[in-house]
Amino acid sequence: MQGQMMMARAQSPGRPSAGGRAPMDLTGLRRAVQYVFRYKRIAAIAYASLFISTLAQLMVPQLIQSLIDTVTNGYLANALAKLPPQVQTLAIQKLGWTTEQFKSNQTNAEALLIAAGLGVVGFALMRGLFAFSTSFNAERTSQSVAYDLRNEIFSKIQRLSFSYHDQTQTGQLMVRATDDVEKVRLFVGQGLMMALQAFILLVGTLIILLLTNFSLTLVVLPTLPIAIVLFMGFSGIAQPLFMQVQIRLSKLNTILQENLAGIKVVKAFVREASEQQKFNAAAEDLMQQQLRVSRLFSFLFPFVFLVMNLGQAAILYFGSGQIINHTLTFGEWQKFSLYLMFVFFPLGQLTMIIAQMAQASASATRIFEILDAHNDVTDKPNAIVLPPIQGHVKFENVTFRYFGSTEPVLSKVSFEARPGETMALLGATGSGKTTIINLIPRFYDVSEGRVLIDGYDVRDVKLDSLRSQIGIVLQDTTLFTGTIRDNIAFGRPEATMEQVIAAAQAAEAHDFIMSFPDGYDTRVGERGTTLSGGQKQRVAIARALLLDPRILILDDSTSNVDLQTEYRIQKALDQLMKGRTSFVIAQRISTVLNADQILVLDKGEIVARGKHEELLEESALYAEIYHSQLIGDSEMPVEVH
Amino acid sequence: MFHAAGGRGGPMFALQSETRKPKNVVATLGRLASYFKPYSFFLLIVAGMVIINAWTQVISPDLTGQLIDCFITPATASEFQSAPALPGVGASSVRPINCWYTTVPPNRTTAETMAGIAGLIGLMVGLYLLGAIVGGLQFYLMTWTGQHVLKRLRVEIFEHVHRLSLSFYAENEAGNVMSRITNDTDTLQQVLNFALVSVISGALLLVWIAITMMQKSLPYALISMAVVPLMIFATTWFSNQARKAFRQTRKEIGNVNANLQESIAGVREVQAFNRESANIAEFERSSAAYRDANIRAVSFTAALAPTLEALGYLAIAIVVVVGGILMLRGQDLFGTTISLGLIVTFLGYVQRFNQPIQQISVLWTNIQSAIAGSERIFELLDTPVAVTDKPGAIEMPTIRGKVELVNVSAEYKPGEPVLREVSLTAEPGQTIAIVGPTGAGKTTIINLIPRFYDVTAGAVKIDGIDVRDVTLESLRRQIGIVLQDTFLFSDTVMNNIRFGRFDATDEEVMAAAKLVHADTFIERLPKKYATVLGERGTGLSQGQRQLIAIARAALANPRILILDEATSSVDTRTERLIQQALEKLLKGRTSFVIAHRLSTIRNADQVIVIQEGQVVERGKHAELLAKGGVYHDLYLSQFRREAEAEPMAQGVMVPAK
Repeated sequence: MQGQMMMARAQSPGRPSAGGRAPMDLTGLRRAVQYVFRYKRIAAIAYASLFISTLAQLMVPQLIQSLIDTVTNGYLANALAKLPPQVQTLAIQKLGWTTEQFKSNQTNAEALLIAAGLGVVGFALMRGLFAFSTSFNAERTSQSVAYDLRNEIFSKIQRLSFSYHDQTQTGQLMVRATDDVEKVRLFVGQGLMMALQAFILLVGTLIILLLTNFSLTLVVLPTLPIAIVLFMGFSGIAQPLFMQVQIRLSKLNTILQENLAGIKVVKAFVREASEQQKFNAAAEDLMQQQLRVSRLFSFLFPFVFLVMNLGQAAILYFGSGQIINHTLTFGEWQKFSLYLMFVFFPLGQLTMIIAQMAQASASATRIFEILDAHNDVTDKPNAIVLPPIQGHVKFENVTFRYFGSTEPVLSKVSFEARPGETMALLGATGSGKTTIINLIPRFYDVSEGRVLIDGYDVRDVKLDSLRSQIGIVLQDTTLFTGTIRDNIAFGRPEATMEQVIAAAQAAEAHDFIMSFPDGYDTRVGERGTTLSGGQKQRVAIARALLLDPRILILDDSTSNVDLQTEYRIQKALDQLMKGRTSFVIAQRISTVLNADQILVLDKGEIVARGKHEELLEESALYAEIYHSQLIGDSEMPVEVH
Repeated sequence: MFHAAGGRGGPMFALQSETRKPKNVVATLGRLASYFKPYSFFLLIVAGMVIINAWTQVISPDLTGQLIDCFITPATASEFQSAPALPGVGASSVRPINCWYTTVPPNRTTAETMAGIAGLIGLMVGLYLLGAIVGGLQFYLMTWTGQHVLKRLRVEIFEHVHRLSLSFYAENEAGNVMSRITNDTDTLQQVLNFALVSVISGALLLVWIAITMMQKSLPYALISMAVVPLMIFATTWFSNQARKAFRQTRKEIGNVNANLQESIAGVREVQAFNRESANIAEFERSSAAYRDANIRAVSFTAALAPTLEALGYLAIAIVVVVGGILMLRGQDLFGTTISLGLIVTFLGYVQRFNQPIQQISVLWTNIQSAIAGSERIFELLDTPVAVTDKPGAIEMPTIRGKVELVNVSAEYKPGEPVLREVSLTAEPGQTIAIVGPTGAGKTTIINLIPRFYDVTAGAVKIDGIDVRDVTLESLRRQIGIVLQDTFLFSDTVMNNIRFGRFDATDEEVMAAAKLVHADTFIERLPKKYATVLGERGTGLSQGQRQLIAIARAALANPRILILDEATSSVDTRTERLIQQALEKLLKGRTSFVIAHRLSTIRNADQVIVIQEGQVVERGKHAELLAKGGVYHDLYLSQFRREAEAEPMAQGVMVPAK
């Protein structure tokens, strides 16, 4: 029975530990534990409760002993009372009682018994109360620690520069903020508490046992090392086995998932039979591994309980001898068998905690990797607020290379955009176009050279004062959960409804927004209306327009939209660029025709610059790009009759 | 063993998972049982072992009682040479009260007593040993059986997933089907592994102990079990509350995750629009809500264990105090004489009540979920398969390549025709371009040729044979398909191309890749053909993925080719590669192309214009354009831009309207 429970416990949370069996590095975990000190009061209550409830637990066998001893003493006293007087005195002596004790045992037996019973119930209640307080306050502490960790990770992530995000995946970061935090929380909330409890229980029990009956303790002591060896050996074997189960399960699920998602391909190429073979083999693999785990459990738990029961049997035998010799009472005897469980229980717990600690320390290390990540783009200590700008942008010998890379993405790029000019950026993928536009709002810092806006080095001004004056429209538009209005006012939450509508109208978005039943209050994103690609793009344009920025950065491509929409988007973009310094990653012929300057980039260098007509004659690369990559503009399409 | 029953985690984890109620328990259980039939022998053994195990649990407290009543009490009593004074131990009576284990000869020596005790304890050790062996074997046999059943179910599900026709997948998203299958098999697995045996043996133990106690003394048993209803009530109430509270935590963690996902994926926009602080504040709100929901849920689980523990001690106090008082007074309890041994025996019994009750109440809902899960699994297995080989279907002979659609109508939902009376003929080697607006029925036409769906009227014939008269396998093997979204498996490039023909050698795979010009980019991959693709592999561009799909089809070398051209834009160089590859692939095969590329349409032998499920125009590109009808308009809105982008290309200039 009990074995199955333990098996259930050990089998259910079989998550793989990414840390594996590598030697533990506890620095991270130690730092995580320090978060507990922020909640000193609750943590103190939790630990105090733990201490009291564990001591109460240690007391309970004592109380049960007194309960049983009261019964047997009363019983014996009653029996003795019926003896002839001489024999009685002899017997009393033999039992080691005084005459007063005998009298009291005889007359007060029932009262003593009831008192002892009430004592047990009272203690049980107290123990229950403090046990609850322990768990509850431990949860409060650990949840608060988890809350802090989650928030710190989140705000760090939000502020880390693009160069960090270039190297990490969303999914990975999410695991840090959820799974890893949870593993650390479990250790902080349960692991530490359980370890302390197990320790008190183990030491306390052994002391009590040794004090009450030294020889009987020696009888049970040999079972201890056996149990320790078993538990330790078990956790060593079980961890890698569980990890294998997880690996095989995910293999199986991958096959299933791919066959579901790619069902058409499977059917089209008539690959059912071979896929089934693959699946069957994976299922067999998984089953064998599960059975391997189950074999271990089938052996281990019954064996541990057998050892414990053998300890009980030893107590029964030697205890009986002592009772007959009057060196032990019935109550003490019962007490011993209860205490014996207090010895085994903490041992099992401690092994669980060691496994938990290994996982938690790996997680803590990963969490602090994020929290300690160096953020290269931050406000300087004496950064000033960028005053309202004219829109003069200047690159001076700008070289940029990604962290740890020697190849520059941009080398010695210099150009100047005067207020109101439109700059078209052209070049193949990886030529450095995107890097240039990312350097203006200081998403990255230059490696060499300077980026100047109205003469201010962007590194000398406060980030928010810089970015709030730059509008950005990218090709892949991310909208956030919330209403359309929220999304348009994303950069200026305090904007009035009139301003939002004006921006939407200028972006050609007003009409389609009004066609939704909820208009501007239509929810988008998760569990909301899904907007088409073209609609998203127009919301993004409105979002940038609302900022009324002096500098504009955009990607003029329109993907996957019908002709009519494309036309409208182009109109909106032209509207947006009017009168602002604009940097455009150009995809359209009209953009380059209208641009004040065209920068042609190749492998991080500006290889040609100028106006369209000049470039068409001078630059072969420009001519090639012009012919092969740029797209003609659409006019209002003819109505289909 | 009260403390062990408590603890955090353990069965409490079960409270955190979602539970569902099954609809038709009897039918589902019956069907599930049929899977266990091949293992009924093992189950019988398991059942026997459960009984033996329970018996060892019931008998050991009783034996402890016997130790007291038959050996210790008489031994202590005899010292006082006061035979008549001790209740139940008459000088002449050889059987003291409640002692059934042995007869006690009067004036037994201490050595004799100890030898008797040793014998009794030896018996108990034997029982412990038996219990351990039986317990271990029982657990292993049960998981062994359960795992085999589970494997069979998994394989059956997988095979059915393959048999199900595409109409099923049109209605059910792959992701949903996936999570349903994994969740349902998961709950089932947990139950088959331990919950079932735990609940059954727990229930058996409870009943057995109750009966044994009642046999010994009905009134004393009833008094001892007085707290049991309280225990049951406490467990159910706290578990239910906890389960409700955990439902809230799952909702909150969903919010936290959504928040994280959105803010991390959109971090560039967040920084561009200076929204960091606002987002952080919002995250802290959902983070706090999650924290509070957890604390609330744990307040219930944290209360359950101490409550049960306290009730357990209450039961002990009742057993000893009531039994003790009666024994002291020498009173009968409605006819039962209470002995010290009986008190100790009952003490042992009430200690064994606590855990099974907790186990059953918590795991019971797990079992319910598992039944509901099996129900859904069976539902999936029962989903009818729309397209199957008909009895007596023949092998499709080697295809020459003539494809005819004769008055074909088709519908996905009854009463909503997608195609109406469509007829067309493709001669061997011809390329048929299918054009038309989204939803016109283009995809339906190409789905009918490899018989992914069946027609509702008319017939699809290949070389004059109705596709419904041949086996699916022989038909589809001779048809190659390149889909718009290339599906790659998380496997090597080599194996992804080899998907086109299972038995192709590495050389054949590489030759196919070379033929369609996919070899240049593959050679540049970090491990070339051995590079692992897909989810956890290298990301390929859309165009590169298409090239792999084309290589796949080239390797299959089919007589009939079906091609759904991708709409998404790829860079110019790759685009040129793809066009060249397609030209090679189409050569000499009967091809159906859902065309998005002007060059494909120009080269087609026939252009079929579909609108609202009907063929509205057909002919060659130039003819149709001159006609100035539907095709002309389509051309204007979809292809003209492409035509302008390659001004040097040959082609008809479109007169502006």
